[in-house]
Amino acid sequence: MRMLVVFWLQRLAALTAGLCVLSGFAMGGSQPSYLITNDDAAFVSGITFYTIGTTGLLKLKKEVSTSAAGIAGGYFPTNRVVVLDNSSEQCVYASNAAIGNIVGIDINTLVVGGSAGGSSTDSGSANGIGLAVNGNYLYASFTSSNTIGTFQVQSGCSLTFLSDISVAGLQGGFIDAMVVTGNTMVVTYGDGSIESFNVASGAPVSNGDEQNSTGYVVSQGSSYPTAVEITKDGHFAIFGDTSTSTLVEVSDMSSGKLAKTTVFSLGHGINSSNILLSPDETLLYISNTQGDSITAATFNATTGTLAAGCTSGRLKGYSVSWSYLADLALATNSGTGGTIYVAEYGAPSSIGMVQVSSSGGQCTLQEVSGSPVSDPNSNGLLSIAPFPPRTF
Amino acid sequence: MRRFSKFLVAISMCGSSLLAAAQCPSRPSSGTVVQDALSLYSQNGTLNADFTMGYSVDTFGYSHYCYKYQSTDGIVEAPTLRLKQGDTLLLNVKDDIKTTGADSMGGMDMTPTGAVCGDSGTATVQSTNVHFHGLNVPPICHQDDVLTTLIQPGSPGFQYKMQIPANEPPGLYWYHPHVHGFTEFQVNGGAAGALVVEGMEKFRPEVTGLTERVFVVRQQYLVPWVPGPYQLTLNFQVAAAPGAPSPIIDMKPGEKQFWRVANATLQDFTPLQFWVNGVAQPIQLIALDGYPLAAPRTLNTVLVPPAGRAEFIVQAPAVGASAQFVSLNYSTGPTGNQDFEQVLANVELTGSAAASAAPVKPAQPAKQASSESLMFAGLKDLPATTTRKSYFSEEFGGTNGPIQFYITVDGQKQKVFEANEKPVITTKVGAVEDWIIENRALETHAFHIHQIHFLMEEVDGKPVPNPDLRDTIEIPYWSGSGPYHSVKVRMDFRDPTIAGTFVFHCHILLHEDLGMMHKILVEP
Repeated sequence: MRMLVVFWLQRLAALTAGLCVLSGFAMGGSQPSYLITNDDAAFVSGITFYTIGTTGLLKLKKEVSTSAAGIAGGYFPTNRVVVLDNSSEQCVYASNAAIGNIVGIDINTLVVGGSAGGSSTDSGSANGIGLAVNGNYLYASFTSSNTIGTFQVQSGCSLTFLSDISVAGLQGGFIDAMVVTGNTMVVTYGDGSIESFNVASGAPVSNGDEQNSTGYVVSQGSSYPTAVEITKDGHFAIFGDTSTSTLVEVSDMSSGKLAKTTVFSLGHGINSSNILLSPDETLLYISNTQGDSITAATFNATTGTLAAGCTSGRLKGYSVSWSYLADLALATNSGTGGTIYVAEYGAPSSIGMVQVSSSGGQCTLQEVSGSPVSDPNSNGLLSIAPFPPRTF
Repeated sequence: MRRFSKFLVAISMCGSSLLAAAQCPSRPSSGTVVQDALSLYSQNGTLNADFTMGYSVDTFGYSHYCYKYQSTDGIVEAPTLRLKQGDTLLLNVKDDIKTTGADSMGGMDMTPTGAVCGDSGTATVQSTNVHFHGLNVPPICHQDDVLTTLIQPGSPGFQYKMQIPANEPPGLYWYHPHVHGFTEFQVNGGAAGALVVEGMEKFRPEVTGLTERVFVVRQQYLVPWVPGPYQLTLNFQVAAAPGAPSPIIDMKPGEKQFWRVANATLQDFTPLQFWVNGVAQPIQLIALDGYPLAAPRTLNTVLVPPAGRAEFIVQAPAVGASAQFVSLNYSTGPTGNQDFEQVLANVELTGSAAASAAPVKPAQPAKQASSESLMFAGLKDLPATTTRKSYFSEEFGGTNGPIQFYITVDGQKQKVFEANEKPVITTKVGAVEDWIIENRALETHAFHIHQIHFLMEEVDGKPVPNPDLRDTIEIPYWSGSGPYHSVKVRMDFRDPTIAGTFVFHCHILLHEDLGMMHKILVEP
């Protein structure tokens, strides 16, 4: 219950959020590497850019104001910031749930390129607006109106709203997480049900596979998919469950539809509301959302099976400076990703940094010296994203 | 999860539309002398009283739910019911909750089907019933049944009729509404009162001759489901409001008094202290949860969880010193609330108002009785027939919820309480069971079981120094790593009168309303 208190207090405290400016850092050539946060601040929010150093350490570069307002909280896996990196555009898009728009920022200039809202009925004011992008289109999941908006990506990081569709879980649930890889979109509804869509033509079209997950059915409703990932080849969808243990479910999508999920029990961390595949797809990183650590499960991308791997120690500041772990990002787009970044929901929020080591099927996760890095601009950090983004 | 969403939607609709004419008596002003509630005594073995549940909204927007009683001096709120062992309580309760727009609360699906006790219809925030917290009485219709009993607005009323067992421990109990899904609303509004089973002096002669005070600590949120600043009240007087003076407890310099304190808050864990010049003083603990201790215990702090009671002797300082009755800070964990330190009252050393504030006559010297005559005596020496493990757990879907609150029998599926669920535990009259209750949540919980007291055996796997009999006990939060905190308690199902179906749950009332509760069946 305390987090409800924190939520309201943070919305007030967000009034005092300020701007920070520091220098940038280039890694791997002239293109800088960033970790980007949607600060989700109430009243006046912004996007904070951190440069990623060669050792994975973060250095605050700049907050770009979105001149819009967030809500400093909401669903854990709702992805409030995404990065587009194609041949012509490098943009970061961030949602502002309080006013219902999406702002695009040019990563090369760190200047706002434009913003767009959905239809008059699209809203994510209670629990956030999730984002996913596949090159041509940006999709916004409005968690209050239970709609998915489709936007055309325009030059200069601007957007044009095209259309929206209404969605709902089998039990009436609200859209929770949404991810797009290629022409496939997969969503969770926070009520035990999941669904996939085809986005080849832009607007999502259901694949007709909405179903309750196995974990939901077996647990009689006490576990349900929240987070979602899709493998690089689109073969598997992976779901992190809200549960009082670490539960992850995998669905074979090779038929073009979600198959019945297989449940993997991976430990006793509370909730797996944010998950992330390593670039080489050998590890699945799991935020123990209501807990104090990160878990890595070994993943077989051929068979879609998971096994217990390793868990970090207690991350610094737990229950003192922050209360929840949320979104995950990686320092590099090769191998196991090098360093894991994790959003730490507090006031102010912070970003934890955990070094990944993996060899011979064994892994270790070790919080690095200098972790966490404060995000002084956020009193409710849930979503982060790297630039350049992972390639799938 | 959806239940919580529906709950929020429904209550937000309710909250915006519940505007009612003043029905409840006005409550005392800040900074005045704390008065004990009117005491109603049994006569010739029977206490017969008529309560009407009312509702109003005060000028600050706080909702009041009230047990109204028509006394010779006008309508008073939440009288203290005083009975002796073996007495009969006849309590007639009428529901006069007049809220507008509350029909929007329909469809909450909190209503049990099947057997109905009292009125039929859908349970809403306008429905009520009464739970006699701590009393070891039958869980059946017209006694202490909360599963099927509904009293609806406008109906002729409902009569509770029960006999206090002849071996009921003398001490402090309390009564409050217990309609599943709406308990928090009504207790938040103040619907709670004390019930005293008299005769403590027979078991703890230390209280003989002392001025007795009954203090009910209540908690009031402006909107109970939206966490934020709250007020603790002491006998309905706000204990800490910005700029407002604290309540006053009147004592004579050096005087010893017997304080009987009920924690009737929604969720506040209250570490109580008695300060003199800012320093915690020894208090002499006499009873916990209405059960006299085997021997008085001297300590500086007594932690009373929500719904718990503590009865103790305090001594006022000499003239010139200042004294205060305080509830300390208490952390309920990473996802729990911070219960803030509050001065519940300042002690004024005049003694001038004591007579009117505490109208109960001091206990007279009495023939001493053996604690072996009380219910649950000898429990620690009995072999347990069964051992069970249960645990509290929670999961959050986001920072604003949805939140699931579970209490689960180990090995069973986690699920929230449903009005029509089957009992998750079935046992038989005569059973003596050891229960290990863990807390796997990141928030402290308060375990309570209806109908019986339980014997404290272990905390975190270690024997307790004082095997007290309790009906509500705190279990600290899990820190995120390491072993879970736990208690081991001994449940006594030997009394055939408690056969039936009743509940155990967390007594943080939001948790209870959202399903951190289950049924147990004790077969005859």
